[in-house]
Amino acid sequence: MVANIQEKSLYLPRLAKMTKKERFTEKEMFFEFRFDDGSNLNHRPGQFVELSIYGIGEAPISISSSPTQQGYFELCVRAVGRVTNYLHKNLDVGSYVGIRGPFGNGFPYEKFKGYDMLFICGGLGVAPLRSLINYTLDKTKRNEFGKVYILYGCKNNQEWLYQKEVESWLNRADVETYLTVDKCTDSNWKGNVGVITTLIPKVNFDVNKTIAVICGPPVMYKFVVLELKNRNFKEENIYMSLERKMKCGVGKCGHCQINNVYVCQSGPVFDLPTVRKLQEAI
Amino acid sequence: MEEYVISLEGIKGLLENLTREGFNIYAPSKNNDRFVKVKDIDEVALFPDRRPTDISAKECLFPKCEPVFYYKREKNNVEIVDIDPNGNKVLFGLKPCDAASFTIIHKVFNWDYKDKFYNKRFDNSLIIGLACTYLDDYCFCTSVGLSPVSTVGSDILLVRLSDVSFGVIVITDKGGQLVKRYPQLFEKGEPTKSKQVLDSIGGPARKFDHKKVKEWLDNNFETDFFNSIGDICVGCGQCTFVCPTCHCFDIVDEDYLYSEGRRMKNWDGCQFYLFTLHASGHNPRDTQYKRYRQRVNHKFKYYVDRFQEVLCTGCGRCSRGCPVSIDIGDIVSRISKLS
Repeated sequence: MVANIQEKSLYLPRLAKMTKKERFTEKEMFFEFRFDDGSNLNHRPGQFVELSIYGIGEAPISISSSPTQQGYFELCVRAVGRVTNYLHKNLDVGSYVGIRGPFGNGFPYEKFKGYDMLFICGGLGVAPLRSLINYTLDKTKRNEFGKVYILYGCKNNQEWLYQKEVESWLNRADVETYLTVDKCTDSNWKGNVGVITTLIPKVNFDVNKTIAVICGPPVMYKFVVLELKNRNFKEENIYMSLERKMKCGVGKCGHCQINNVYVCQSGPVFDLPTVRKLQEAI
Repeated sequence: MEEYVISLEGIKGLLENLTREGFNIYAPSKNNDRFVKVKDIDEVALFPDRRPTDISAKECLFPKCEPVFYYKREKNNVEIVDIDPNGNKVLFGLKPCDAASFTIIHKVFNWDYKDKFYNKRFDNSLIIGLACTYLDDYCFCTSVGLSPVSTVGSDILLVRLSDVSFGVIVITDKGGQLVKRYPQLFEKGEPTKSKQVLDSIGGPARKFDHKKVKEWLDNNFETDFFNSIGDICVGCGQCTFVCPTCHCFDIVDEDYLYSEGRRMKNWDGCQFYLFTLHASGHNPRDTQYKRYRQRVNHKFKYYVDRFQEVLCTGCGRCSRGCPVSIDIGDIVSRISKLS
């Protein structure tokens, strides 16, 4: 982990301009931001930023775009709190927000080179994983990885995020994409119905050379891990991104602490053996 | 360590001189509730046998609420103004359990990213400690590696020799420079005399081995031990606010006009339900016993694992002020006997 130590105050954001805003679902929206000087965020897939709206507050949001996309970065945000609701309802293209970060460790993709990749995304968990998926699928990086499997589940047919991109994954010959909905609300849906764990038995991966990367709601991890263990998946090949309330992002304020670990700094990405040692983690 | 003697009048003269030099003096208030900026030097109390202030001296260097920047908004445009936390301070009359806290929390503010707000205040402060003779049932400084006469964290430690004279033990260069600046106020002291006084000050009655506490916590996370405490604790969080070493904070915006405001760093506490509540509704510490377990573990295990320091100075404030009489000293003493 390389700390980018700022000489200025740790809590001082940079201004970024909203350049795209698109509605995905009733609750989720997609945003693109750019810095006025054209500089890159210089993030790793799996890292997050502290997004602030002046007068409203600050919230941690995972970065959804791949670092191979230059000059801008993308966030997928669910409207649940003060900041996110204000972002959805009151800010339009051209508005400025504050950005601190990127923070956190991100996925150790250097270690994944040569492996097959199994992505398991539940709901909004696709947002941070999309950063790594698009990195893996980027034409300059694709040959560094083996097969790519994407498992993506939603509550119902109205909840798909990044629908166009999901379709492009379905159409790619070098990606196996499996979709499921917990509850079918579209009579034309021909795909799987059931929770995300029901997809795992359908995938024919090689446990000796596959890395599984999981992100989803907290309840999902335990069951996905169980299902992977049923397939004799190695614990050290399972990675997950944890959700915590990261307030300062720099390992001081204490909100994201699990045992002696600050998730905002040592996480949010952990391998399963580490998570097993952290009580209260999942 | 160099030693000097200063008279009561000399101390007053010293504080007057420092005020003239532009230092702000912080000392226990008249009713002993907290450290306040001194307006009248005659009011500074110099009694080593006073009870620790209700709220610790922590807030002099890490204020309860502090702005981290100001902003102005106009339509889509935002302007941000940074803050420079300067100003020289003298923290006067800290008990060793208060002075030591700064050395301990210095580590969390500097382990990777540096927090300039804390650091600047720390660098611009001179800490004058006062050896303590107040010992009650809640004190346990000797059990966490300190003592009523500990020099940890002080630049100078005063020892009360008589009603009118104090021994001066110089601990840091900063403290030494102060003595050199005002040679007329300090006489060369006899180390034996203050040593006699120091030796005569005993320790608090409560004693336990903090290493034993950690040993037990290392192996007992899923335990019933904290359930009964969780049932009693009302989650008011006063323990985290009066504590000299608790350092968690929140970051919030305050708009005082529609178009301008400031971003604040405010103290927060792990005993609150909202502390770990995610926007999604998920809360990793959803019941009070988990939050109390977090507090004990953070103080006696997690911080030790990470920074090799116990996150507690044994001042006993959290227990003295608890509305439902939860006594952390008693709890960790019991834990130390379990391993």
